[in-house]
Amino acid sequence: MISLLHQKREMRVRKTILRGVYEDNLRIIGKGGNGLISHRYYYAKKVLLTLCLSLVALLVHANYVTGPFFQERQLTAGLITRDYRTTPDEISAKTDDYRAFMKNPGSLSRVFGLEVRTIMIDPGHGGADSGTIGKMGTREKDLTLDIAKRLRERLLKHGKYHIVLTREEDTTLSLNRRVTMAIANKADIFISIHLNYLPSKPINIIETYYFGPSSDSKILRLAEQENAGSEYGLSDFRDMIEKLGRTLKLQESRDFAYSIQKNLFVNIKKETGNAYNFGVKRAPFVVLLGVEVPSVLAEVSCLSNRDEEMKMNTASHRENIANYLEAGILDYLRKGDSKL
Amino acid sequence: MSQAETQKEGSILFVGIDLGTSRSSISSSNNTREWVESYVGWPKDFISLQVVGKPVLFGAEALKNRLSLDLCRPLERGIIKEGIEKSEEAVKEIIKHLIELAKPSGGQKIYAVVGVPADTLKVNKLAIRRAVSEFAHSLMVVSEPFAVAYGMNLLNNSLVIDIGAGTTDFCIMHGTIPSEEDQKTILNAGDYIDDQLYSYLSEKYPNARFNKNMVRQFKEQFSFVGDMPDEIKVEIPVDGKPVLHDIKNEIRRACESILPALVEATTEMIARFDPEFQIKIKNNIVLAGGGSLIRGLREYLQDSLKEYGPCSVTSVNDPLFAGSDGALKLALDMPSKYWEPL
Repeated sequence: MISLLHQKREMRVRKTILRGVYEDNLRIIGKGGNGLISHRYYYAKKVLLTLCLSLVALLVHANYVTGPFFQERQLTAGLITRDYRTTPDEISAKTDDYRAFMKNPGSLSRVFGLEVRTIMIDPGHGGADSGTIGKMGTREKDLTLDIAKRLRERLLKHGKYHIVLTREEDTTLSLNRRVTMAIANKADIFISIHLNYLPSKPINIIETYYFGPSSDSKILRLAEQENAGSEYGLSDFRDMIEKLGRTLKLQESRDFAYSIQKNLFVNIKKETGNAYNFGVKRAPFVVLLGVEVPSVLAEVSCLSNRDEEMKMNTASHRENIANYLEAGILDYLRKGDSKL
Repeated sequence: MSQAETQKEGSILFVGIDLGTSRSSISSSNNTREWVESYVGWPKDFISLQVVGKPVLFGAEALKNRLSLDLCRPLERGIIKEGIEKSEEAVKEIIKHLIELAKPSGGQKIYAVVGVPADTLKVNKLAIRRAVSEFAHSLMVVSEPFAVAYGMNLLNNSLVIDIGAGTTDFCIMHGTIPSEEDQKTILNAGDYIDDQLYSYLSEKYPNARFNKNMVRQFKEQFSFVGDMPDEIKVEIPVDGKPVLHDIKNEIRRACESILPALVEATTEMIARFDPEFQIKIKNNIVLAGGGSLIRGLREYLQDSLKEYGPCSVTSVNDPLFAGSDGALKLALDMPSKYWEPL
């Protein structure tokens, strides 16, 4: 009798496991429509959708009836419509020290009468650090390296720039190593290529960063992630920020970031129509801070988006992105010249 | 097996495939069991095609002719190499070859369960499905340690440690399909031992000429940890002349190089589990994969876990087929309604 009971229990365990395997495999192919179990999921989804709709209806209603008294509504609306773009005015207002320089737009090369010769391209992550990984297994580190190499080919064709990559292969490279490389190679400008990952949203966003304090908790979290490989202590950090204050770098980086972002976004939008401009932002990324020349970090695509991931797997799309980055860099460099 | 399944058994061939970094095996419901080393080679050019006489070669044959082949080990480091279409192609070829080895009779439908390294399952799910779907009518992909556990009836409160070539996969079973927290993968496995052994040997015998493949054969023949009385001597050419070399210490050092990480990960997995059931898990640790053949490994692990209380570590009887047998069992037990045509 006991053994029979035992057997029965084992059968039950076995059944749950088999069902688990089945559901797991359904999830892999990303379909749940004609499965046996999935009907329940569909039902749940429907209920959820109805709930959401009714909530929206309620909020809209509240909008008309109670107006500004309904504070919660204001908060939601504020979250949705909030413009992430930081305008140049905003920045100048925040950083009084740089206001003097702002009146004098133009690149460093113009101020010092120097020419930009060495461009350092930094493919994000690498080696043991894969960066983000798309749903189909595409790894950020491979894409960034490929785009960086394409960008180098393009820039070399101009014949007047010396291009250095922080990594040529799939190797692990700490962030401060990248920084020391930029200094050792006497880079004139520095661009770090990354890809975004937004687990909850199926959209493609383009954004570019330059170094600066940030109050946005999301950006801070992102910075924390991207800084994870650095071995700098807090005191080094403070030192570096002070050093930064003495340079023109901030303003230059901002200009640089704007031209990168503009070229990336306008072109990608033209190509797919489904891209969001998250604009130029400031964030305390270690790679941007340590490098003493104009430096930006571009998030060129969004790997959490399945379509985008598929597209990134085609060489032509990566070539396009390299093309846009090239255009952004040239734009920035030309701006100084044209105003001379 | 349910009645419906018995009825159509004739028209369906169930296969369990263990797709490994170093060796892949297949077990099928018509009682064939075959294995092949996970190497795929394509002739480099027209001349090599003439020499080898086949468009694609596998396993030992591919290794033997490797000088005239583009050799590919599709799942190096436990995942399909990114961006190289060749790797995906190689997976496809291996699957095709394995299914051919199982000799399905004409018109038989093939229902396959494929066990892959845990990392592959995480990273390359779709690629694996794509590679297999051409040759099977219905298909499920599971992680290797899970297939082993299922095959050995270790459905509840057990820990399977699958020491493969590219990765060592840990998997805790607690009566459901293991989630990501129940699994862990470390890169200290067979290939890592090979690398260590290679560098130790080149350090000790700088004049001797040997390659990675020879080193791997030394390891497979002699691997051990702890103490062993016999001498280990192998012939390695020096200036073209075969000379006997003592490699016992190097073998031991190389094999023992994976132990710290192995013990650490094992204790971590146990500690992560519900404290009430930790004792049960400790008495149900199973070593699988080629690494479980390292002599003294089981004893060493059991010994080093002693301070965490009594525990028992066992090894699977047949590491080569434990995965594919488990996958086959899974395929046979799977209710027919779960098999969906691709």
